Amino acid sequence: MTVFETRRFGTLSIPDVDFYTFAGGLPGFPGLSRFVLLPNPGGGPFQWLQSAERPELAFAVCDPLLFAPDYRAEVRSEDLADLGLSKLEEGFVLVILTVPADPKKMTANLLGPLVFSPGTMKVRQVVQGKSPSLARVPVFGGAPC
Amino acid sequence: MLVLTRGRDESIVIGDGIEITVVEIKGDKVRLGITAPASVPVHRKEIWLAIRDANVAAAGSAGIDAAAAELLKKKKEGGGKS
Repeated sequence: MTVFETRRFGTLSIPDVDFYTFAGGLPGFPGLSRFVLLPNPGGGPFQWLQSAERPELAFAVCDPLLFAPDYRAEVRSEDLADLGLSKLEEGFVLVILTVPADPKKMTANLLGPLVFSPGTMKVRQVVQGKSPSLARVPVFGGAPC
Repeated sequence: MLVLTRGRDESIVIGDGIEITVVEIKGDKVRLGITAPASVPVHRKEIWLAIRDANVAAAGSAGIDAAAAELLKKKKEGGGKS
């Protein structure tokens, strides 16, 4: 059981087995590895990936198929193996959302989707070798910013 | 920045277990081969920067409030209307 502070959810007490460990790190946040997936208190189709190590850090995440039905993360076999997955379907993919003051301008990071492996409780931000603009795809349409 | 000159098939070793090899030189492009442990991410810089900047921006998100949740729910329910 780990008890830790969070800015959004107050003090949390979470069993250790419920924490995901980041394999390969998170660009912009070196050294952070323990996160927990929490449902959004107000409901809705997304969740929060809350850092156990930094109270103020929580990413809003959602299923990319919600707004990009043809999206498929490409994951190298080495990364799948490192996550303990024999195929992508054994895990699940979420993408990080950036929510500006105007929620209609919300963007999703399709360049670095998060691949979760519930079997090993590992998660990896798997970089897609494509265009940098995929990091900020508007959820509600329009050109990537 | 350490600057080293390498020709084709020559390598650079970084720390323990990271190696960069010049695979091919064609015009003004260099093809590099990188060997690194799975725990060490390796990316084209502009891609890495785009991801880092998006991660940092996401961390500073205004916060998903009821409005954003509502919008996303409408999208899920098969909108087209926003």
